[in-house]
Amino acid sequence: MNKDMKILIVDDFSTMRRIIKNLLRDLGFNDTTEADDGQTALPLLKSGKFDFLVTDWNMPGMDGLTLLKTVRADENLKDLPVLMVTAEAKREQIVEAAQAGVNGYVVKPFTAVTLKEKIEKIFERLEG
Amino acid sequence: MSEDELPSYVKESYLTRLTELSNALEQNNHDRANQLIGELTTLRESSLFQELGKLTREIHESINAFSDDDRVAELASEEIPDAKERLGFIVSKTDDAAHRTIANAEQTVDFVNAFNERASDLNQRWKQFTTQQMSKADFLALSDDIGEFLNSIEGESTQVKSKMTDIMMAQDYQDLTGQMIKQVTNMVQEIEEKLVRLVAITGSRISEVQEKDERKDGTMAHGPQLPTADKAEVATNQDEVDDLLASLGF
Repeated sequence: MNKDMKILIVDDFSTMRRIIKNLLRDLGFNDTTEADDGQTALPLLKSGKFDFLVTDWNMPGMDGLTLLKTVRADENLKDLPVLMVTAEAKREQIVEAAQAGVNGYVVKPFTAVTLKEKIEKIFERLEG
Repeated sequence: MSEDELPSYVKESYLTRLTELSNALEQNNHDRANQLIGELTTLRESSLFQELGKLTREIHESINAFSDDDRVAELASEEIPDAKERLGFIVSKTDDAAHRTIANAEQTVDFVNAFNERASDLNQRWKQFTTQQMSKADFLALSDDIGEFLNSIEGESTQVKSKMTDIMMAQDYQDLTGQMIKQVTNMVQEIEEKLVRLVAITGSRISEVQEKDERKDGTMAHGPQLPTADKAEVATNQDEVDDLLASLGF
């Protein structure tokens, strides 16, 4: 797993972005950028050469699932690993996210250990 | 006299006409009979209207009583706007507390990282000294650095302590917001009671709540689930999410 990779954190709550950013920094990932919903995230993704997307689901503007689907439908972004970190926990939603091509799914409230495990698992599978 | 019984003057009118109708029919006086049947029908209709009028008056009085209820006016004009303000305050108070806590934690982590780096450097050099692999000049430098390190720990640990205290103090939002949430909950409960009364007055039955959300494919965001959520529908922790994803081949 490349610790220098560029990560985009998308969440409408700045506190949650801050928490995720700090947890990622503890895991050795220092190159993070923040966006507050799918609409602001998308232009960043298109221009920024990001290696990993961490997104919330429920956001004003464009929600995380739509962002995921848009990413998967974009020729240049379709292989971007996406981790969803969300309070959405309905089984049908998790299935929907999986079908839309999410790489990992973390439900809030979550722990630093869970976040670390899911990220490691995503990159193990991609690299393996 | 039961409420269903007709008023005596109405009964009297019916009986008089019925007796006369019976006589008219026996005497084959069809014109008179038809006239009497017409009168009976009119009588029936007018008593219906009276009943209807009575019912309308009752509903009208109930609605008046409801709108004269000062609490309803107070709820609408003062308490609901007040509740909106309280909820807004809760959002900003919790937001402040979270940022204050995170900022202190970030700074503390920076301090601790710096301690850690310097301690591990000194530790390395101390080991060299104890295994007698150190020149006198290096030892003097080490001795200076240790002195400086101890000094800085004294000062900076005081700062760490004050940051930790501030983190604790930032948790006071729970008390304040908790009380406000209780006030709003009480108000919502009161409104609920008033609405139930209003429904009772209008005589409507509370129909089964229709499932409004037709997006059953899971694409709609529902927000955080309560811990009491139905386990068949909701994954209540990360393990359940993992199990579900595993069953989908993840």
